[in-house]
Amino acid sequence: MARLVTSRQRIQHLLRRAGFGYQASELEEYALLGFEGAVERLLNPEKVNDSATDAVLASILEPMAGNPDDRDVDRVQREALYRAWYVRISISKRPLLERMTYFWHDHFATSQAKVQKATYMQQQNETLRRHALGSFRELLLAMAQDPAMLMYLDNRLNVRGKPNENYARELMELHTLGVGTGYKETDIKEAARALTGWRIENHKAVFKTSMFDSGEKTILGSKDNFNHEKLVDLLAGDRRTAAHLADKLVRYFVRPDGEAALTRRATDEYMKTGGSMRDVMRTILLSEAMYSDGAYRAIIKSPTELVCGTQRALEIATDGRAEKNFASPMGQVLYEPPNPAGWSGDGDWVNATTVLARSNYAQQTTVRNSKSAADVAVLLRRYGATTSAAAVVDFTLDLLVGGDTDATTRTVLIEHIGGANHFNFEQAARDGSLQGMMYLALSMPLYQVA
Amino acid sequence: MVIGTESVNVRVDEPVERSSALNRPLTRRGFVTKGMAVVGLGTVLPAAFVRSAFAESLPSGVTSKRRVLVVVQLGGGNDGLNTVIPYSEGKYYDARPRLAVSAESVLPLNDQVGLHPSMVSMKGLFDQGKLAVIQGVGYPNPNRSHFRSMEIWHTASMTENAPTGWLGRLLDATHHEQKALWKAANIGAEIPQSLATRKTFVPSLASVQSYGLRETGARRTTDWVRLYAAQAAMGGALALLSKTGTDAYESTLQLTGKTAAYKPMATYPGNALGTALKTSAQLISSNLGTGVCYVTTGGFDTHVGQPGAQTGLLKAVSDAVAAFQDDLAAQGMEKDVMTLIWTEFGRRVKENGSSGTDHGTAGPVFVVGGGINGGLFGETPSVRNLDDNGDLKFSTDFRSVYSTLLSRWFQTNPKDVLPENYPEIPLWG
Repeated sequence: MARLVTSRQRIQHLLRRAGFGYQASELEEYALLGFEGAVERLLNPEKVNDSATDAVLASILEPMAGNPDDRDVDRVQREALYRAWYVRISISKRPLLERMTYFWHDHFATSQAKVQKATYMQQQNETLRRHALGSFRELLLAMAQDPAMLMYLDNRLNVRGKPNENYARELMELHTLGVGTGYKETDIKEAARALTGWRIENHKAVFKTSMFDSGEKTILGSKDNFNHEKLVDLLAGDRRTAAHLADKLVRYFVRPDGEAALTRRATDEYMKTGGSMRDVMRTILLSEAMYSDGAYRAIIKSPTELVCGTQRALEIATDGRAEKNFASPMGQVLYEPPNPAGWSGDGDWVNATTVLARSNYAQQTTVRNSKSAADVAVLLRRYGATTSAAAVVDFTLDLLVGGDTDATTRTVLIEHIGGANHFNFEQAARDGSLQGMMYLALSMPLYQVA
Repeated sequence: MVIGTESVNVRVDEPVERSSALNRPLTRRGFVTKGMAVVGLGTVLPAAFVRSAFAESLPSGVTSKRRVLVVVQLGGGNDGLNTVIPYSEGKYYDARPRLAVSAESVLPLNDQVGLHPSMVSMKGLFDQGKLAVIQGVGYPNPNRSHFRSMEIWHTASMTENAPTGWLGRLLDATHHEQKALWKAANIGAEIPQSLATRKTFVPSLASVQSYGLRETGARRTTDWVRLYAAQAAMGGALALLSKTGTDAYESTLQLTGKTAAYKPMATYPGNALGTALKTSAQLISSNLGTGVCYVTTGGFDTHVGQPGAQTGLLKAVSDAVAAFQDDLAAQGMEKDVMTLIWTEFGRRVKENGSSGTDHGTAGPVFVVGGGINGGLFGETPSVRNLDDNGDLKFSTDFRSVYSTLLSRWFQTNPKDVLPENYPEIPLWG
């Protein structure tokens, strides 16, 4: 059952994985470019005009310019932080850029629950986005001097003579080499010395020579008077880092059980290009493995993907206020990863409460006359999907899951709005069955996977 | 592993694995169908036990039939040394000039150790003989990583990425009724690894009230059920989602009319742990056949500003657990329930530079129950005889605690759950 045959089907799959789903009109824009053209558009976000998104965000982010030491300002900034990213993910025309920013947020997991400074978290988010498809070495260096990271992994407390190993350990275990790849406790201790000297003053990361341990260190067999930059060079250039990132990206974008041959190719690409994430991602997004039967519908959407993807597909004009409460019962809030390892994802998104919470979200987002819910009838009219029960359901299934469902699923949805004989669009819009059909489509397991 | 060699195969019913690992594929590697469990020395468990998980025959002194274990996990690594305090040990005061709790203020359990002053309620349980304090609990080659050490406690395995938890294996070993959807319950948002099973459904809920599908009307609900049933056949991630959804929905139906009669008969503190334990009491009193309730409470990773933080945390735990015990007693269920309180590690003996403590090793475990031998168990860890890293040496393996609960409380063969034998702790008899 080769499922992803046509260029259009591949693009739908691509946008579910490399973006956050698609609006019906958006899909047609990508389809016009052809499969490879669509991939290139995703990989080159700077060539896409996204000024409409920027305009919406500018007003939400306005409070970020204020002084965070003022309690009232701080309170407003905290709200703006979450709103801005939920809105951006839902409406951005640069979906892979957002996807990668989201991936790096998970990879360099940092939680507002500990940092407690919205401006730092916002700044980190912008840094992640700036480097999202760039050089990994630059990204790693930026994270080593990022105020939110300095707070979260305590490196601001890492001082010559009194090292704090928290960041050094996670830097090797989680951010670069990967656990069990042969580095030793002494490597962590020596790396911690190399990372000394960073403080936060006036809300900025500053390097204090007097607090830096300038002595010689031996890290991974190399002797040098390492500082943070030389350490970043060493780690970013190590093939274990390349392999760790490649494996994680393949599990994240292709299939959760990994794909060794593709991981090797992506690792090689990283080494060949000096860690260019754009090139690594091109290798992955153009691979056959990504569109194989084993990859098809193999990934369970995160709550963020589900909520923001739904808002995108159903063209809900969100102000970003409802998402946190929608996604939290499903087990995820942006900016609040549970620990430095990020969200464990995959099967861990699924338990009794979180699965029911997904259906309850579907109910909330299809309820009539609510600001944060979809207007289902308006959407269907916009695309002319009104002529029959089958037309309504086929449009909905194509939009949400790329069509390709079993006969029972299609039949249940068609019958729900009156079937072949009793369907009347205006009546279905009035009696709530249209919303009911959308509730069912958003609730069903098929829509929970990408 | 014992589960495999003991199995007398009956039939495979293709369960969906509920692994909770990091991006781990839902493999069926190592899956073994449980038939009739065979106990060591060739004894076959009575059929009554095999059918009903939490069991029939009882340890001496216990007269009820129901067997429930409530697990309270203190996430982050509670500082055991400031919980069960060696107040007569000068070296303790030397190691902690800023953090040590004064001898006058501890709540003495004997002339050497005492509870943190905020644990008045649990001291009351101790005085009533309902609290067992097991000292110096840990395991060989202690790991100071939260993730890894929790994993070791949850899975009771030294192998990384072990697929099931110790309670999950207990549930699976006694799993025979597909419709038994309340054999265990996690009170919280995320299923702990302890409850990772191969085939038993474990509901996870924030509260009884919030658990369930929002009311959408009969037509929508009927069609929802049809869609979930249809898509279960699609395999992989879709099967996991469909089966979990279907079981979850059916589990909400099983609650109908059963939970309303419960009225708390003690005053629970308003904190999250108190609320979760009240929910546990509600589920237990609803006669759903629940054998395990699991509750997690966090904040114990006190690297900075420990004194104030830990005082609040220990008071919350102490008050909530005591209220729960009072409620159980008032409901006539005190002999039916054991409570186990654990944390992934203790903390370093020496305080750090920011009024906190860093990750350490052994610490105390608490068991609370109406029918146990209360008191102090295990050796008090010495602050003079430390390991190479300056941390406490453990004297009781945490798997001894599990083994004791498995054999003496659940009357099951610990070998269904633990690969080796561990000495029992004399909590009963």
